[in-house]
Amino acid sequence: MESTVKAIETDVLVIGAGPAGLGTAIALMRGAPEGSKPRVIVLDKGRNPGSHILSGAIVDPSGFDGLLTQEETAKLPVEARVSKESFRMISGPGRSMKVPWVPPLMHSRGYPVGSLTKIVSYLASIAEREGVELYTGYAVTELLEENGRICGARTGAKGIGKDGGHKENYLAPEEIRARVTVLAEGGCGILTERLADEKGLRGKRCQTYALAIKELVEVPAGKQTAGEVMHTFGYPLTDGTYGGGFVYHISETQVMAGYVCALDYRRPEIDPHLLFRRFKESSAVRRHIEGGKTVAYGAKTIPEGGYYSALHPYTPGCVIVGDAAGLLDSLRIKGVHIALQSAQAAAKAILAELKDGKGLETYPGLLHATRGWKEMKRVRNVRAAFRHGTFCGVMGAGMAWATFGLFPFWRLGGFEMPDSEELEPLKPGALEKESARGVPQNSPLSPDRLTGVFMSGTLHDEDQPCHLKIADAAKCGECREKYGAPCTRFCPAEVYRFEEDRLQIDFSNCLHCKTCKIKCPYGNVDWTFPQGGDGPRYTRM
Amino acid sequence: MHAIVCIKQVPDSTNVRINPETNTLMREGVESILNPFDEYALEEGLRLHDAGARLSVISMGPPQAAAVLREALARGADDAYLLSDRAFAGADTLATGYALSCAIKKIDPNPDLILFGKQAIDGDTAQVGPGVAETLGLPLLAYVRDLSVSKDGAFTATVAMDDGDEVVEGRLPAVMTVVKEAHTPRFAPLSGAIAARRAKITTWSAKDVEADTARCGLNGSPTKVVRIFPPPVKGNAERIDARKDASRAAEAVIAKLAEKGIVRK
Repeated sequence: MESTVKAIETDVLVIGAGPAGLGTAIALMRGAPEGSKPRVIVLDKGRNPGSHILSGAIVDPSGFDGLLTQEETAKLPVEARVSKESFRMISGPGRSMKVPWVPPLMHSRGYPVGSLTKIVSYLASIAEREGVELYTGYAVTELLEENGRICGARTGAKGIGKDGGHKENYLAPEEIRARVTVLAEGGCGILTERLADEKGLRGKRCQTYALAIKELVEVPAGKQTAGEVMHTFGYPLTDGTYGGGFVYHISETQVMAGYVCALDYRRPEIDPHLLFRRFKESSAVRRHIEGGKTVAYGAKTIPEGGYYSALHPYTPGCVIVGDAAGLLDSLRIKGVHIALQSAQAAAKAILAELKDGKGLETYPGLLHATRGWKEMKRVRNVRAAFRHGTFCGVMGAGMAWATFGLFPFWRLGGFEMPDSEELEPLKPGALEKESARGVPQNSPLSPDRLTGVFMSGTLHDEDQPCHLKIADAAKCGECREKYGAPCTRFCPAEVYRFEEDRLQIDFSNCLHCKTCKIKCPYGNVDWTFPQGGDGPRYTRM
Repeated sequence: MHAIVCIKQVPDSTNVRINPETNTLMREGVESILNPFDEYALEEGLRLHDAGARLSVISMGPPQAAAVLREALARGADDAYLLSDRAFAGADTLATGYALSCAIKKIDPNPDLILFGKQAIDGDTAQVGPGVAETLGLPLLAYVRDLSVSKDGAFTATVAMDDGDEVVEGRLPAVMTVVKEAHTPRFAPLSGAIAARRAKITTWSAKDVEADTARCGLNGSPTKVVRIFPPPVKGNAERIDARKDASRAAEAVIAKLAEKGIVRK
């Protein structure tokens, strides 16, 4: 164990400065009576607030109710509200069809559409104004526990060399002792996942994730309308794998284009980044970005499992909020508003705990009373229905809507095993067949992966131990034989590649999306924390 | 012993783009950072601080520039001063050097050592440090990459020259500019960041430092920016992938060079 300097004492420690973490911090300050404001420390491993956040993003503004004032909500840093929305079924590169009717549950007219990075940095400024202490560039690598109760956490050391030795600028880990610790790490949070296993916090089903890859495209002015949004399904995923794309005009000259590919896919030849590029080349999408240039890139995983996959969000001394707990409406793939509602529920329980020394255990009940949780319950089977193909999925969604979630009343099967175990062995010739469908040329509108990595701004000190630890290198060879080394395709940052017979890991490219941890068929990747402050530097994602 | 480090907040140039129509900086999505060269100057100051010196930091800029001063405090600096006044706006290197000199005199009429980064990555002039030395009438040592100071003020500095290192001995006071080959900048501990959040940053106007406004900002700047233009775009770079077959890639590079007449095949 590394020696640590004197512990820092606080009432509340929040790990992760996304909507859930900052929402909790703001709600704590605003909910506490004047004169007895708690001390709230928020830590984030990103270099700046929002550096590691990524979303579509069409934000359901209901999450801000009760948290921000109307004036603050009106001042959200978004340039557009959804003014025109459509769903398209894409059947091929040149063919698509507008879906004539969309369940009202999925409507988002009037919702703010823009960059979640900017929204988070706005929330950060509100939190700091309220007296929240926010420090970025600090990775929290370990929770502290005493007598079965979480009592704080420890930051990661900095300045450790490739060889594991201390460099000239070595910084020792520091301990923060907290009366309440809030896990707000986002989807597939490393500390959260570890805690869920240790304390048995898992839901009825495994969590299932999707990988979202997104670009910001600058387009010539005067051609597009701010606020126009389009969702697509179908091509280029035509084998029944769940997924779809989106195109959001967040201003007259900026378009967010993204593709979401479910990670329960079975064919190891699938390459989500290639799917994204094909998606952008399809005629349905091209007309939105024609003449434009990609200027920013990023990727993140989304916990899509919903109601049955959510974690039990409480253990003594600790609550889990937002994506980390799997709180997501899996029909609309929206989580920000539920994150903010869970934050407000958590803040209520925390304030009771700070006042009376008990009350934290009421958080799950408070969470279950939120609108967001009820929404998750209503669409609880939708994601599973999509396992049986798009038709079943759409029918399931329709039924859930029409019957207010009463039907199907039972729990549909699926997700009994984690995404990593879904892969089937690679069929002979499958890789060749996949690449024969064509790889787009590198161009301003279709940058390859490494160009994307550059545009994500991701940066890691290369003189540090590789944070992606391979448990058993021999398995990588076996995997290459059996599955064709899917990590070389599913990683949106080209971290993994084979150099002759050796797996080369370019960890410096990492976007912290955790796809490798989720999808490696051998569960062979241990995702540990690189030095705090490293990783992507999203500013407009 | 009192060391003063002058630091600057700059746009992170790795992300800077120029709007081709207006020729102005597109600030959207560009972070503000501590000038990378100043990190090294600050580190030299902190090493003296470790050995018992008092360490002050100054910056000139808009109120947001306080962020880099807080970072310096978090790493261990004792006190921080921000020169912020509309009168300083539009300053060239001469006017900036003058304003900083006024502030330095106010902090300590007899400082032992004033440190600068070699240059700032936005203007790239490398003139402000030398300008302050001139204004204050102190000796200047540029491009320092290692420094040791004894209790009586005698110093030994290693200076990075184009053709090798020079070891210089002398006696403080002096102004020095520091290069990136110096010691690796330290990280701010969380406890330091917590203390810095509460620390006071003294903010001064031109009047506070008794600066002659005729010598400040645009008024005091003999150099004027006449025109800004992006350099002409060179042809698209060609990428040769050497990851699969390095020797074939090398051949391709040689063939390209031969084609351009740079080497003979």
